[in-house]
Amino acid sequence: MNGFLVFPIIIPLIVATLALLFRKSSVMQRWIGVTGMVILLASVIVLFRDVYVDGIQVLQLGDWDAPFGITLVGDMLSMLMLGISAVMGLIIAVYSLYDIDKERERFGYYPLLHILLMGVNGSFLTGDIFNLYVWFEVMLIASFILLALGNSKNQLQGALKYVIINLFSSLLFLFGVALLYGMTGTLNMADLAQRLPEVENVGLVTTVSMIFLVSFGIKAAIFPLFFWLPASYHTPPVAISAIFGGLLTKVGVYALIRVFTLLFTQDIGYTHTILMWVAGFTMVIGVLGAASHYEFRKILSFHIVSQIGYMIMGLAFNTALGLMGAIFYVLHNILAKSNLFLISGIAQRLLGTFELKQMGGLYKHYPFLAVLFMISAFALAGFPPLSGFWAKLTVVKAGLAVEAYVLTATAILVGLLTLFSMMKIWLTAFWGTVPEKGVPEHFGKIALFGAGNLYIMVVPVMAVAGLILLVGLYAQPLLEVCLIAAEQLLNPSVYIEAVLGPQ
Amino acid sequence: MLIMVALIFGIALMAPWIFKLFREKTGWVLALLPLGSFVYLLSWMPHIADGNTVTQSTAWVNMDFFSVNLSFYLDGLSLMFGLIITGIGTFIVLYGGGYLSGSAYLPRFYSAILLFMGSMLGVVIADNLISIFVFWELTSFTSFLLIGFTHEQENSRRSALMALLVTGIGGLAMLAGLILMGFATGQWEVSALLNEGDIVREHGLYLPILLLILAGAFTKSAQFPFSFWLPAAMVAPTPVSAYLHSATMVKAGVYLLARMHPVLGFTETWMLLVGGFGLATLLISAWLALSYTDMKQILAYSTVMSLGTMMMLIGLGTELAMQALAVYVFSHAMYKGALFMVAGAVDHEAGTRDVLKLGGLRALMPISAAAAAVAALSMAGIPPLFGFVAKEIVYEASLGATLWPVLIITVAVIANIAIVAASAIVVLRPFFGTAVETPKKAHEAPLSMWIGPAMLAALSVVFGVLPFLIDSALMLPAAAAVWGAPLDFYLSLWHGINLPLILSILTLAGGILVYRVWDPLRESAPMKVWQSGFADYPVRGYDATVNGMLSLAGWQTRVLQNGLISNYLSTIIITALIAVGYTFLSRSGLVWNPSFADVTIYEWALSIGIVASLGIILAFGHSRLTMIVGAGIVGFGLALIYLIHGAADLAMTQVLVETLTVILVVLVLIHVPKLKEVRSTTTRVRDGVIAVAAGVLMTLLIFAVTALPFDAFISEFYAEASYPLAHGRNIVNVILVDFRALDTMGEVIVVAIAGLAVYALIKMTRHGATQK
Amino acid sequence: MDTILPIIAGAIFASGIYLLLRPSLILTIIGIILISNSVNLALFTLGRISTENPPLIAAGSVMPEVPFANPLPQALILTAIVIGFGLLAFALALAYRSYKELGTVDQDQLLKDPEDTSTAIVNNTDNTEKRDV
Repeated sequence: MNGFLVFPIIIPLIVATLALLFRKSSVMQRWIGVTGMVILLASVIVLFRDVYVDGIQVLQLGDWDAPFGITLVGDMLSMLMLGISAVMGLIIAVYSLYDIDKERERFGYYPLLHILLMGVNGSFLTGDIFNLYVWFEVMLIASFILLALGNSKNQLQGALKYVIINLFSSLLFLFGVALLYGMTGTLNMADLAQRLPEVENVGLVTTVSMIFLVSFGIKAAIFPLFFWLPASYHTPPVAISAIFGGLLTKVGVYALIRVFTLLFTQDIGYTHTILMWVAGFTMVIGVLGAASHYEFRKILSFHIVSQIGYMIMGLAFNTALGLMGAIFYVLHNILAKSNLFLISGIAQRLLGTFELKQMGGLYKHYPFLAVLFMISAFALAGFPPLSGFWAKLTVVKAGLAVEAYVLTATAILVGLLTLFSMMKIWLTAFWGTVPEKGVPEHFGKIALFGAGNLYIMVVPVMAVAGLILLVGLYAQPLLEVCLIAAEQLLNPSVYIEAVLGPQ
Repeated sequence: MLIMVALIFGIALMAPWIFKLFREKTGWVLALLPLGSFVYLLSWMPHIADGNTVTQSTAWVNMDFFSVNLSFYLDGLSLMFGLIITGIGTFIVLYGGGYLSGSAYLPRFYSAILLFMGSMLGVVIADNLISIFVFWELTSFTSFLLIGFTHEQENSRRSALMALLVTGIGGLAMLAGLILMGFATGQWEVSALLNEGDIVREHGLYLPILLLILAGAFTKSAQFPFSFWLPAAMVAPTPVSAYLHSATMVKAGVYLLARMHPVLGFTETWMLLVGGFGLATLLISAWLALSYTDMKQILAYSTVMSLGTMMMLIGLGTELAMQALAVYVFSHAMYKGALFMVAGAVDHEAGTRDVLKLGGLRALMPISAAAAAVAALSMAGIPPLFGFVAKEIVYEASLGATLWPVLIITVAVIANIAIVAASAIVVLRPFFGTAVETPKKAHEAPLSMWIGPAMLAALSVVFGVLPFLIDSALMLPAAAAVWGAPLDFYLSLWHGINLPLILSILTLAGGILVYRVWDPLRESAPMKVWQSGFADYPVRGYDATVNGMLSLAGWQTRVLQNGLISNYLSTIIITALIAVGYTFLSRSGLVWNPSFADVTIYEWALSIGIVASLGIILAFGHSRLTMIVGAGIVGFGLALIYLIHGAADLAMTQVLVETLTVILVVLVLIHVPKLKEVRSTTTRVRDGVIAVAAGVLMTLLIFAVTALPFDAFISEFYAEASYPLAHGRNIVNVILVDFRALDTMGEVIVVAIAGLAVYALIKMTRHGATQK
Repeated sequence: MDTILPIIAGAIFASGIYLLLRPSLILTIIGIILISNSVNLALFTLGRISTENPPLIAAGSVMPEVPFANPLPQALILTAIVIGFGLLAFALALAYRSYKELGTVDQDQLLKDPEDTSTAIVNNTDNTEKRDV
């Protein structure tokens, strides 16, 4: 039993409540918003240490033994996801200090951000499938309003699609939960993992796994379920796009990884082959979407889809190397993708637009920003010695190891196309000449670290770029913990014993 | 060696600050870095010459089944390349300082060129397969930055991207090949792999491994038809062209294949592919060189020709060919580096590189002219220069080919005739003849810009006259490394009168002849065909590929991402139907044993009521009020079902929520106008079919699951524990507030946030955009 | 085992799906309401229905009378209903606001992907044509 497990859920709740109490005071909101993230990060670090040293941590809420109560489980995968979400939360909170306007603050931006993280953290920690549904809904409602907050036309259009499709996905999820309960009489995931293999009608379990694939697949934005994402993620303020683009879809990926390693392993030949197809198509269709657009954030949005494919690919191989790659990919991608969104925001502040065709001159006037973009973009494309290189290397190596040649070749080609569309941004916005008209007066005049407080946006970006470099140059520790996570996933008995006690 | 590479990277990153300290003198300061590395490598030469090798290894990532070492391996081959890279690098840093003097981007240039040098040095001395790839990719990246140096020109950006994509895809293929080779042998260090040649050659994956690695080598080393990016890359500043695109980076592919020769070579496939591509490349590009008048383009194609020659030699796979390779690579680096630098100096001082617009510069730029003349003579293969030694041994190796020697030597001679002519063009036209008015008033280049060419030209003479200085010290170990076993040979300038010498004389005579008729030849129809066929078409192929990809991308995005939510939804639903339905039918099968025996009269009545109101909803789509009332009735019907099945709390909540829902919907309806169904009948029928299928599937799934035995052990536990342990008599409530309290907490949060959300949606003023 | 409830659930689900695919946003939302109801009923059914006795413990006893209805699905549905209501209220408010801002509830108009000025390649399609496919 580890009581700390409840902190990543409770801290955001307390912080959100406090921030709501100080609704009128923008200063207080900001202080609470950022400090809350720091405390959250600290609590996650403590938990991480526990899991690293002592293995899977479990908390039976209300002291009801599993499977009767709700269990919180912290395994290495959960810890890594929690860690990255806390880091990104802090980064985004700081960036928001500049990016988010007073009006949005007044209508509860910071509380919502914390509630969003609460839902995300709850999803990572819960060991109960129905409880996962509840956290998904918490996350969804917070994301709905964050997306729509501001009520601009674009936002409303984007939000409507996001809301309707995600509502449908949630209902599908709930139906899947209902069927699982109907088959086994339990909701605890460890207990489910034990009881599902005993279900007489194995085909039925596989059928239910498809419901989960579709439902989580919608949230993770896999092919052909991703359409809502590029339609909505580029509409809100950049700070929100960044946390959505970085973190939210990965919750779906997390859920897929969880259920397809813990629950649905009865018919791997069937389910994981489907995952491979899904992975391939997701990569290709996503990257082609990115290639066809000329709006900074839209390109990034389509890339989210494409990169999800790599993660699913690692999952589909169902080997230690594959899962390690998938998890590493998730972590790396959250860093790189969020950072690119954040950079797009700075570029927009400087040039007044997200349209590549009206951008240019950033390399000439803001070389430091160019370096930050280079790091993130080349990391995304998998260039050494950046974080993305290890992600790509592990996934490709895993693919060749299981002789999935076609899929691996696809992954490699998609990597090249990723590079192509990142370079499209670079060649126009950075290397291109300054457009003749429509460029704001201040372009080239204000410095990143001068008057105008732009540095509030630049410092978080620097921090993430630093992490990308650090992970790239010194990948060993992160790879190691990813491997621990992967091995835990491949041996569900450890998880089951931690939750239900020695069998 | 790790320290050396790390130091280069570190200083490269600090270059902009170093520049602030030394300003115009920065080049002289930074040149100490490559010079120091050169001296360091040179200090290993005696050790290597004695037949030793050096390995140093540091674990980068070290895990059970996933480890990558930053390991380095120094043998004759890597030493030779390392010396070329650092030696010419020293001159290039100096030269760049002069060439770009005054440019605002000079600090960035220093950074990029040094980063490149570190990466390139990494490629040739890395031992681990993965680290070779790492450095390889870094050279592509730095090359991209340097080609796009004059990034405000569209052409530079385009060429930079072209080089990045072409070498990028090759690099990725190579990565796959290297990993497969690692899997095949279990060895990830080159030094260990060198002994595993037989395993690789007999492995089932030999051909894929070979093809993938060749893809990397051919794209990087600009073999036809992937050669087009190299001439395009000439938009880069000349120090970049001289260094990356002639002396070093483009030889990475040659290096890789030379390195892998003991592992992958000695098969017929190898000989045909490597030799064949090399031969085609050298013939095509030698004559392409003659179709241009821009000095850099001529030199670029002659470089491609040289790369082809090197590939051809690797493909020959004989002892003699390996010796020829070592000598040829070394001599090429010296004369081509010098020529490029001189071309840049001419451009810099006279304002143009077009040989037609130049002439008689000899008087104004004497040192450059002398250096160019010596280098060009070496390139043409005229004694007593080192280029002559190289050409002799290349001819000798060609004659000794195991396959089709006559064909190979014929092609080699024909190509070299063109190269002799090209050498004459790049030196005679600008420097000799009558003086021509140039865009800028020409004068001798500064010291920093002529010292490199002058030194390299001098070395061509020294090594030509005294080849024993380097043969056993450098050439022999290099050739032995490629061959895979010790070799024994000595270079000499004079071999006596033999077939290679006769061929050399023939080549020279042919070259002079071609030079004399160059002007009409250049404009002739066959030359134009040659140019459009071999230079333009590959570029068009590249463009067509990129555009094809873009239009495919545009098309698929238009089709899939068409903006209509009903299309997105129907796609999702159809996907779900297929995935779930197919799996259900194929894996589980129907479980269908309906029995309406114990359906009570109440249930029948309720069911009929619900179905009837559903009918009303669907039939009265035009009256929204009817619809919402219908939906309400369905909800209340469900409440009754819950009630008669022992769920009183649930029924109450359902009634409450349903009532609120209806009220909310009506409230919104008041403000929102009615909308006519505009979808066609076909669409509606399609939607109807989807809907019915979904409903049937849901019903069947519930049947299938409820047919299984059920263990309500959790509820039984709740029943037992509810009162004694949790002190509640209403078990449902106890579950909500105790057993599963966390769910309830989440639920409360959702409702609270929804309230906040509704408030914000209604009250918040609109933002025109996302700006402050 | 009860046979009629799965059929009812399926019928409600089918109606919900049909409405979900209608062009009017309001109908789409009513579709969501129906689907939500059908899923709740499915969950209820899957908890196996055996009795009409509610899971209550009478005063003076420590156990409910056997047989009693399965309390767990009831609790889950309660949670789901309330959550569903919260989300629905939000969706309705969003629809209302969208109508105010955009002046229509026709999805084909309303829900076009937000303006995309990347004209050259995307968004040249005519929506009215699409509608009749």
